[in-house]
Amino acid sequence: MPDGTHKAEARLSLNSRLAELTLVCPWVDRLAAEHGLPEEKVFAINLCLEEALSNVIRHGYKGAPDHSLTVDFSVNAGGELVFTIEDHAPVFNACAFPESPAPASLDEIKPGGQGIRLMRRFANSLAWEPLPHGNRLTLGFNYGAPGGEPR
Amino acid sequence: MQIAIEEMDGGVTRVILDGRLDIEGAAAVDLKMNVTAGSSQLLLLDLQKVTFLGSMGLRSLVVPAQAVRRHGGKVVAFGPAPMVEEVLKASNVDTLIPIHHELSSALAALA
Repeated sequence: MPDGTHKAEARLSLNSRLAELTLVCPWVDRLAAEHGLPEEKVFAINLCLEEALSNVIRHGYKGAPDHSLTVDFSVNAGGELVFTIEDHAPVFNACAFPESPAPASLDEIKPGGQGIRLMRRFANSLAWEPLPHGNRLTLGFNYGAPGGEPR
Repeated sequence: MQIAIEEMDGGVTRVILDGRLDIEGAAAVDLKMNVTAGSSQLLLLDLQKVTFLGSMGLRSLVVPAQAVRRHGGKVVAFGPAPMVEEVLKASNVDTLIPIHHELSSALAALA
């Protein structure tokens, strides 16, 4: 769990359209340059944000355009990089959503059904809380290996 | 995201992907990937130049691979970068689309 209160260093505001996700990578790249993040950490952050945001747009807002969502970036007291996604979609706990079982054959792979599994693997922490009119998903990343111990 | 198709000896179709296989990249290659898979028996997915792979990108690899397998063909992935390989492994796709880092072993697996 990300700990402590912390002030957002940067905010990205998006509209609920998948095309808006093209804004995420340049934003993350800028933050990465400012914080000197290694390439594999930038990859993990981009991967998790793409999954989390596309989940909100496709499932939370059910593809309806013109709803808002925000991503706030901060560094918490423990030095963890924290990305907080807030939306106004119906309550949906991505952390409690069961992963699809590991597929036993190629035909069993559900295309597009890997998002939760990938977020759990590539983020160091994942936390959800309901808001009065939406959801807050918090993704934490340390400077070490994705999902593992700091190097 | 760029895609190039190359017919190799032995009836192998090499699909060379270049760039970010994110939502936008997936949308750019899906049609060509699926058309190629529809007419290929032996598919080599060349991932050497793929710099990012998300779950929509995985879908762009899995759906054509499923199509090739359905008509009795074989699919392998060749040369993914470490983080791309980690995504393939985290989603268990590597157990179904075997990963090779040498072209010779990728081609041998298709033979």
